[in-house]
Amino acid sequence: MTSLTKILTHAFDKDEGHVHIEIKEKPYSNPYLVGVGLGLVLLAAFVIMGRGLGASGALSTAVAVTVSNIAPEHAAQNNFYKQYVGDENSNPLMDWLIFQTLGVLVGGFLSGTIAHRVKKGVEKGPQISTKMRLVYAFIGGGLLGWGAKLARGCMSGQALSGGAVLNLGSWAFMMMVFVGGYAAAYFMRRQWI
Amino acid sequence: MKKFLSNLTTNQKLGGVALVLGIIALFAGNPYGGTSIKVNEKDLALSTVGNSDKVSVTDLADWIIKNKADFELIDLRSEEKFNEYTIPNAQCIPLAQLSSSELLRNQKIILFSDDDVASSQAWFILKSKKYKGVYILNGGLNNWKEKVLFPKAPVNGSKDELAQFENMKEVAKYFGGSAQSDSSVTDSKPEIKLPTSNTSNTKTTAPTGKKKKREGC
Amino acid sequence: MNAPFFKFEYFNTDVSLIIAFAIGIAFGIALEKGGFGRATILASQFYFTNMRVLKVMFTAIVTAMLGLYFLSVIGFVDLSLVYLTQTNMLPMVVGGLVAGVGFVIGGYCPGTSMVAVATGKIDAVVYVAGMIFGIFVFGEMFPSIENFFNSGFMGTVTIPSYFNLSYGLVVFLVVLMALGAFAAAEWGEKKMAAKSGKVKA
Repeated sequence: MTSLTKILTHAFDKDEGHVHIEIKEKPYSNPYLVGVGLGLVLLAAFVIMGRGLGASGALSTAVAVTVSNIAPEHAAQNNFYKQYVGDENSNPLMDWLIFQTLGVLVGGFLSGTIAHRVKKGVEKGPQISTKMRLVYAFIGGGLLGWGAKLARGCMSGQALSGGAVLNLGSWAFMMMVFVGGYAAAYFMRRQWI
Repeated sequence: MKKFLSNLTTNQKLGGVALVLGIIALFAGNPYGGTSIKVNEKDLALSTVGNSDKVSVTDLADWIIKNKADFELIDLRSEEKFNEYTIPNAQCIPLAQLSSSELLRNQKIILFSDDDVASSQAWFILKSKKYKGVYILNGGLNNWKEKVLFPKAPVNGSKDELAQFENMKEVAKYFGGSAQSDSSVTDSKPEIKLPTSNTSNTKTTAPTGKKKKREGC
Repeated sequence: MNAPFFKFEYFNTDVSLIIAFAIGIAFGIALEKGGFGRATILASQFYFTNMRVLKVMFTAIVTAMLGLYFLSVIGFVDLSLVYLTQTNMLPMVVGGLVAGVGFVIGGYCPGTSMVAVATGKIDAVVYVAGMIFGIFVFGEMFPSIENFFNSGFMGTVTIPSYFNLSYGLVVFLVVLMALGAFAAAEWGEKKMAAKSGKVKA
């Protein structure tokens, strides 16, 4: 564990005047145990609600509701926004995924706080500037948002949840994410290593 | 052996458990058993359509007139028969599609067909799937036609029966039928196209205003 | 069969929202504990230096899959009531590719970005803004790509049913595949660490 500390310390040596990540944090747990924990949470969702987890859906609902509030006729003619806005009978923001995502924010914060891992900062590799990192973050987010909507889900919804129920499309999606990721990794290596 | 097991790391233990479970899965069988109904014969025999599970046609007529809407009225016959004539506010769910319908278990469900046979079958199916509020329309549509649409005047009836008959005349009128004061009119099946059949046709297959909850991610 | 509980009307929609919140908290805790709130850790999956992403994801999938399978076999869970997204093969393939590229460029996926935002990472906030933008662009483009979005429709299909294998057999194969992937990952990490003189923690 101390070697991880060494790596991180050296990784940020070159940068001056940028926001660093401080290292006095508790180490991360065994990934397999974490995986079992995550799997049990997912299982609970299946057993209690009959559905899996998700993430991109909450943002989609937010976007759709915003668009339909600003330009209702435009949203009403768009089949994508329509499915997230629902009918007049219910508030579209009272949505399972939105509440779940709020929980993720809270849970992440709680866990981070307990392990002293809540620190303002920018995650990046040693060879790239903060500014470029943020540019890439925006671009990456845009691509992922777009791709996730095309695929009707993201890692949490399709890969994790769909994977656990052996959904054919979900596994195809998951495989392609790894393909796309490894393909792009070479070109993005400056950002990370 | 014990030593081998205790020397394994956590990860190897986890992996071992997964492998064992995976091998068991090879033989454990089909997980979709949930689509067949488990029937406890004793319970079901004891609970076969008791009187508390029956709804009389006159009660139903009363509720409809009073606009009581706390139940789902299900017509189990085919769509053509449904379109020909059905009781107002009824939904068309042919018996064969009953298990794949979207009926919720906490609804009050009143089933009817021409007679009691299909509705009893449907009652059985729903009860086995743990639906709680399942009722059959006593006598089905035939009884509805006889008692509600075309009530016959009681021959030599008592004062109460006659009073009741006056009542039924109004009810029959409401539903577009007509009271039969002359029992010689046995030639039934006059036109039974009700004005109200328009409203019931708008609810052929979709559940009453329940928006399907989006479950994607 | 009395599960999934919600489908059997054990509680109503409002309570389900509270449950959503609770499950979300657990989800967030698990993600954070796994180190998934850090873009550097997530990205290192694609450079073979830290294979956490693969380990956590596949362990979670296998755990949930085994749990769901056995609970269904004993009849506690009605598997046919568990939600399955429909499969639109080509859009999902293309979407997966784009999402994978986005993952490496951005360093997060939607769920992990939430955890990162919660632990103060500014790049995660920018990433979320990017996602919102991407979703908006998709929404605006939707009328023109709607046909593609709906193409390749295969209904709701599982791997067992598509390949005509028994569910249990697929479960077993997935377990094997995961264990194989873990072994490869451990081996790969050690090699990378030895190569660069660092020891993976």
